[in-house]
Amino acid sequence: MLSRLLPEGLAQKATFMDYGLHRVPGKMAASLQEILDGIEEPSVVMLGYGLCGNGLKGLRAGKHILVVPRVDDCIALLLGSRRAYFREFEAVPGTYYLSKGWLESGSHPLKEYEEYVPKYGADQAAWIMDQQYQHYKRLVLVAQSQADLDAYREQALQVARFCERWDMRYEELLGSDGYVQRLVAVASNLEAADSDFLVIPPGGEIHQEQFMR
Amino acid sequence: MSRLYERISTAIIEGEPEKTAELVQKCLDQGLDPKEILDNAMIVGMGEVGVRFKAGDMFVPEVLMSADSMQAGLVVLRPHLVAGGVKLIGKIVMGTVKGDLHDIGKNLVNMMCEGAGFEMIDIGFNADPEDFIQAIKEHQPDVVGMSAMLTTTMRAMAHTVKAIEEAGLRDRVKIMVGGAPVDAAFAERIGADGYGSNAPAGSDLAKKFVGAA
Repeated sequence: MLSRLLPEGLAQKATFMDYGLHRVPGKMAASLQEILDGIEEPSVVMLGYGLCGNGLKGLRAGKHILVVPRVDDCIALLLGSRRAYFREFEAVPGTYYLSKGWLESGSHPLKEYEEYVPKYGADQAAWIMDQQYQHYKRLVLVAQSQADLDAYREQALQVARFCERWDMRYEELLGSDGYVQRLVAVASNLEAADSDFLVIPPGGEIHQEQFMR
Repeated sequence: MSRLYERISTAIIEGEPEKTAELVQKCLDQGLDPKEILDNAMIVGMGEVGVRFKAGDMFVPEVLMSADSMQAGLVVLRPHLVAGGVKLIGKIVMGTVKGDLHDIGKNLVNMMCEGAGFEMIDIGFNADPEDFIQAIKEHQPDVVGMSAMLTTTMRAMAHTVKAIEEAGLRDRVKIMVGGAPVDAAFAERIGADGYGSNAPAGSDLAKKFVGAA
């Protein structure tokens, strides 16, 4: 989504981080810090993350300006707004989201289970999965276009069939790229930053409470 | 003697329930003090698990298996602790706050606190502020523990502390908070009495609250 929305000349400057960092938020800031510190020229850097389990906590701007969506979870970026995220969260707190990115390079319950079986044996793997997901109620495939929903449905349904063991129901949500568009707009004109964005000046640092409102 | 304790601690870290139970039995057979086995072998093991998990060197499946091993050891040990005259040191109402259905961490804290001699009242996950208030009125605990796994649901901790205040019950209990996104600064900001960075730390804090540390 990001590479499509970025102005020409900027797309090739985007660095895509490993999805796996979401599973170890304790290591996320360090990985991002390394990338940031490696950018020589003082720049405006857009982060395609929310607070993400405190993954951004402690990230230092250094000589750059950071622009960050002010949301707990980057799922809000896929849904299109912070409001949409909270609406879905309140409707069904136990929702597991699948997206193009997660299906292609991230993880999901079925994939986790398949990784656990050779490591721990089928019974133990099933028990571990139950401990983690038994209270979840809903599996949602979110995409920004109907074409993407159609393209990833079969894969998502495979995960959905696995998640039936916890009575999770499957739904599809058509999100929007509105939030990411606004992020791109803010990065090129910092004046446009409203309360949905954090602008961290050079020398600044990201704190958890900046996201709390 | 300390060699056996070390082996128990290792069996817990490596997630081997049968071995843990066996080694605990072996200690008991040798006439070692149950309380010492708990403090110097088992809690040491779980403490290390907490540290490694936080650092991203251990993942949820391993932690679950460690917890299972701790539990297996406690099953063997508990009758001896009780027979040895280890008294209940206090009562804790524990729950995962509203909107959050993650209970692995909460269950770990329950286990550690129970091991430390507390009577545990578990009000489950997705617990409303009103559920906490009811439980405080009904059970008159010394300590209230709240858990949250998401930054999104951390806010519910603040709401719950406030609701307890408004119900006029704040002075009757000590409140401790914990969970992946929580830190000491947050605990202070919302008016909790303390924060536990992992399950053993939570149990230590509760002990401190009742003057048993």
